[in-house]
Amino acid sequence: MGSTMINDIRISYEDFQKFREYFYHKTGIWFDESKRYFVDKRLVERIAATGMCNFRSYFTMLRFQASGDELQNLINSMTVNETYFFREEYQLKCLVKSVLPEITEKKFDNLPIRIWSIPSSSGEEPYSIAIYLLEYWEGINHWDVEIISSDIDTNMLHCARKGFYSHRSVQYLPAQILHKYFRNTDGGYQISEELRNVIEFTRVNLFDPTETKSYRNFDIVFCRNLLIYFDDMSRRQAAENLYDAMKPGGFIFLGHSESMSRISPLFKVRKFAEAVVYQKPYYKSEV
Amino acid sequence: MKRILVIDDAATVRMYHKSILRSEGYEVEEAINGIEAIEKALNGHFDIYIVDINMPKLDGYGFLKELRTLEIPQAPAIMVSTESDDTDKKKAFTCGANYYLVKPVKPEQLATIVKLLIRGE
Amino acid sequence: MGFVKRQKEERADVNERVYERNCDGFSAQLKDPDPAVRRWAARDIVECPGASTVLLERLEKEEAIEVRQAIFTSLINIGDRDAITGLVECLRSEDAALRNEAIEAMKQLPEGVSAIIKELLKDDDPDVRIFAVNILEALSHPDVEEWLIDVIESDSHVNVCATAVDLLAEIGTEKSLNSLDKLRTRFSSEPYIQFAVNIAIERITNGQYHDK
Repeated sequence: MGSTMINDIRISYEDFQKFREYFYHKTGIWFDESKRYFVDKRLVERIAATGMCNFRSYFTMLRFQASGDELQNLINSMTVNETYFFREEYQLKCLVKSVLPEITEKKFDNLPIRIWSIPSSSGEEPYSIAIYLLEYWEGINHWDVEIISSDIDTNMLHCARKGFYSHRSVQYLPAQILHKYFRNTDGGYQISEELRNVIEFTRVNLFDPTETKSYRNFDIVFCRNLLIYFDDMSRRQAAENLYDAMKPGGFIFLGHSESMSRISPLFKVRKFAEAVVYQKPYYKSEV
Repeated sequence: MKRILVIDDAATVRMYHKSILRSEGYEVEEAINGIEAIEKALNGHFDIYIVDINMPKLDGYGFLKELRTLEIPQAPAIMVSTESDDTDKKKAFTCGANYYLVKPVKPEQLATIVKLLIRGE
Repeated sequence: MGFVKRQKEERADVNERVYERNCDGFSAQLKDPDPAVRRWAARDIVECPGASTVLLERLEKEEAIEVRQAIFTSLINIGDRDAITGLVECLRSEDAALRNEAIEAMKQLPEGVSAIIKELLKDDDPDVRIFAVNILEALSHPDVEEWLIDVIESDSHVNVCATAVDLLAEIGTEKSLNSLDKLRTRFSSEPYIQFAVNIAIERITNGQYHDK
């Protein structure tokens, strides 16, 4: 094994075709011709790492492996999964410019607007939402908002509650926001205590319907770059659980390369100026 | 250039329809099921939809019903299916289809229907 | 105004339930006029004996998509013989959405479905045979290619063969080449079959070429 072997592995155009259709089918991610080099490189790496000698044997293993572990490895290497503040900011813009205005327009009670951010990971997403609301949504002066953020990994929750971040993680934040909500620490930043107190971090397994049962009445859910890592049945179960956690008319944001078309027919596609969001339909009149 | 959306869960069928339509000079996009087709329809205009019936998550009838409620410029749809019953045809037209073709489609047949529908005949 | 945190005890289940939360109660709730109640019943009934039969009965009349989804998810989670038999019946439905939901559900039950798939591939109804080929896609069974070869060699219906070729383009090996060639001759006047067979053969032989 090693470099000589990697150099011997070739991905033909037909292999690329076969692979991208399979991958598209499984994940909804489509690689166009311009990604050929990137895809080939990752494939060759995985073929070598699994000790396979060519694309064909690797592809057969990938398709027939009962555990699905290799598909998972491949997804990990094909999707760059790093989280940072204001990641996919167009969705946050969509939240404050389109989604929240629609929710408040139709809201006839004074109960808080409930937002669920899952997975919380190390906390960048829920804190980004909170910062975005404070900075860019005038409605924060008129409405109560509750942000709950959950993860299955208690280590992650611990990190999220502490709120320490690297320079890399905050690099896309405008300077005045960084200054306003963070304090400098040794080699990084910590998010302000005020914000740390705002978010409720909880442990939950999104794929377990008994665990998600107490999560209810969310107006907005962020569930980005999570479902893509799971098989059809897990996605199906997660979609059911998310649906039941949401209010009729509530909105759900998925990651930019994810689409409900691979996950569930339970939600309606809504197109706003900034982004595509999915909506739990309002209940129809009784059957 | 006129744009066509080919909606089918079978990759080979999408490729086949695409190759016929491209050789007629159309720009062709694909969708794997009704939901993806709705997303694409919301994100850009199409002059014709070519729609399979049996697809996961959202089938062809469901797609058409939903498409016809969208506040976008509407375009004709051709239902293409393995089902040759009259009930399926009727249902397709009730859901908003403009033409019905039984699979497997002949290239010249598809090209002709598309041409006619684009001209508004 | 601004951010609030709710006390834990307030975040209780808000669904008010007038029914008993037991198996008889769930069966009754499946007939409730409110789809939200029916959906919860379809979720909760999973542990009850005979749940598949009750769920399948409801499925025949059920029109709300959110309830149907919950019924199918529960049927997958139960996955017993009754569930599979009922799903097979759904393949014969006039309702396209029901058929397609059943196909998706059966793809999630590879073990139980593998036992009956050969029968389905020989069903009298060509539509059912097409759906059976669709389901094969998800069965990580070592005989899938053999089954597909048998389909393209023996099935008289062009669309059943077409569906099988589509899958062979993805998973076929050189074992399929002969049969693909024969199929091309058998349906020599069908441009689609010519096109699909070419693609499948191209994909298979190219892989072979690169092995050398």
